[in-house]
Amino acid sequence: MAPRVVVVSLASDFGCQVQLTNMEDDLLDVLGLMDLTYWQLASSGHMPDAYDVAIIEGAVTTTEHVELLKDVRSKAAAVVAIGTCAVTGGIPALANTAGLETRYATVYGGGVAVAPGRIAPAPIDSIIDVDYHVPGCPIDTAEFLRGLSRVLQGLSDHMPDQMMCASCKVSENACFLEVGTVCLGLVTRAGCKAKCPSLGRPCTGCRGIAPDANLASAREVFARYGCDPASLASSLLVYNTAAEVTA
Amino acid sequence: MADLTVEHVARIEGHGNISVSVENGVVSSIRMDVVEPARFFESMVVGRRFDEAPLITSRICGICSPNHAVTSIKAIESALGVEVSERTKLLRKLLVYGSYLQNHATHLYVFAAPDFVGLPSVFPLAATHPDIVARALKIKKLGNELCNLVGGRSVHPVTAVIGGFTAEPDPRKLEAFREMLLDIAPDAVSTVELFASFEVPAFDTAGEMLALSSTDDYAIYEGEIAALDAGWRRPVSDYREVITESIVGHSNAKHTMVAGMPIIVGALPRLNINAGSLSAAGRDALAKAGLTMPSRNPFHTHLAQAVELVDAAERCAGYIGRLLEMGGSSAPVPFKIQAGEGAGATEAPRGTLYHGYGIDDDGFITRGDVITPTAQNLANLDADMRAFAPTIADRPRDEFILLIEQLVRAYDPCMSCAVH
Ligand code: SF4
Ligand code: SF4
Repeated sequence: MAPRVVVVSLASDFGCQVQLTNMEDDLLDVLGLMDLTYWQLASSGHMPDAYDVAIIEGAVTTTEHVELLKDVRSKAAAVVAIGTCAVTGGIPALANTAGLETRYATVYGGGVAVAPGRIAPAPIDSIIDVDYHVPGCPIDTAEFLRGLSRVLQGLSDHMPDQMMCASCKVSENACFLEVGTVCLGLVTRAGCKAKCPSLGRPCTGCRGIAPDANLASAREVFARYGCDPASLASSLLVYNTAAEVTA
Repeated sequence: MADLTVEHVARIEGHGNISVSVENGVVSSIRMDVVEPARFFESMVVGRRFDEAPLITSRICGICSPNHAVTSIKAIESALGVEVSERTKLLRKLLVYGSYLQNHATHLYVFAAPDFVGLPSVFPLAATHPDIVARALKIKKLGNELCNLVGGRSVHPVTAVIGGFTAEPDPRKLEAFREMLLDIAPDAVSTVELFASFEVPAFDTAGEMLALSSTDDYAIYEGEIAALDAGWRRPVSDYREVITESIVGHSNAKHTMVAGMPIIVGALPRLNINAGSLSAAGRDALAKAGLTMPSRNPFHTHLAQAVELVDAAERCAGYIGRLLEMGGSSAPVPFKIQAGEGAGATEAPRGTLYHGYGIDDDGFITRGDVITPTAQNLANLDADMRAFAPTIADRPRDEFILLIEQLVRAYDPCMSCAVH
């Protein structure tokens, strides 16, 4: 029987789900491999009571999300977190840097109350166990398909631990740091084949900090090249938590 | 009929519930509860560096991220007084249109079409109508690839930055895309014919229709704000005076008004206001669509989007022709970091999108403001549902729900944009 797959989204921009629909050539093939039981974005079917794999996009930002995740975890054999929102808290977690209520007051003021049940944005694995993570803002569809096939075969998580910088060197791109421009490739998780530097733009760190990264030595490198060392932590805040960027 | 709620309306971008109250057999209230979680983007950009605004706010919406990126860039450029080259403008238009092709094709075929053929999703159509699904995927894919070509990535483009582009497509690839665009023109025309064959409810909205308008081009990248009924035109820099926002309890997205009237933006208002700027192929498509302009029927949004697809294919092929001939550079122009206030607007696939920022002397953002197309449409969607529901109240429950959902989907709402 084809595995029954559901796609669930929390606080996100739907970009990673859009990436799923962007596998035009593969989509129908992939669909043959799975029974896409619930996908609010694409179908008016209802969320079923039993399924095998849950693909989850977005950060946890409400008490409703917490309940939903617990429910999904109790039903799904495997949970796949897609996108940096889901993996690190991503851009939604940037709200934490000034505190949620400050953010709320700036946007909505003190009048009519909306956005009930809000909690500090957090990654999915802060609430439930996640079997497979696909980082990136947005995800790379090839990486997602590799991940999904590993999940369907019962294989374990497979995120690269190294830094993106090495693949940038392999691509023979000119180094941004050497000309004093802040680039986060030095500490960012590999796997994108140095997408942005290869297109003339410094890495903004969309895959999150690599486990192998050494922030202290990265700050030294920044200083050596005339980049303000403090800008490393500040730039990294976009996709990582305050605790992570000062490690 | 009893009270009812449709939770997490399917085939729209983001999360919204329709809630209907019935008293003595009469619909006493009906509205769109926007439950999409708030991410506080306007607050999140405050204190960030000016060049991070497009990077961060592009994440408002992954389905129209090129539009957010370009609009945010324009607003920052307006604050810093940056003037970009003609070449950069043309490339930005291609990026915006790539998003149109992908969004309109998705909305028409994946979100809307299943309603007209009585299916829960587009997937079963792959078996019964492979030609239609292939056509949908072809247009959508070309849109994505156009964004990839110009922006380096279709979701959250990489190369578009303040002042220009960090990389440009290879001219041979551009040339190949000109051919591919001309090649999808017949598919776009078939899309018009398909949607012209679907019957839609006769219903007129009362909302004021707004769109950017320009004498130079079909306005998607720049223009003045134009109102269809009231007839005024205002510069984009006045958008805060024109559009007022208010907070309503049932929606995490703010509602908006213009002069006390709910408003509608998107393909239909654009076409109503700018039909005179259509390309020759676009005008033919409009005739095929059989629309009498101006149309006030929100269900005609589908046809308006289909006409825009035809127009876009021809127009983008023309842009590429100019890019190949004109020379010049799209490399980011130099600029000075200085304090300023700026506003930018473009026509995103779902309607006019505004970004506004304040920047301090050191280039840090002091104020962020974003008004999205769906946020502008929500008050009018509620008003339309209130006007439409009584006309179909005698239908069986399932049919009533489907028709209301169809009205919602005709607005092509994007809740992650609306709330942001
Ligand atoms: S990771 Fe990025 S692209 Fe994916 S849902 Fe989050 S913001 Fe969107
Ligand atoms: S270069 Fe950096 S920002 Fe760009 S895709 Fe790779 S990790 Fe993300």
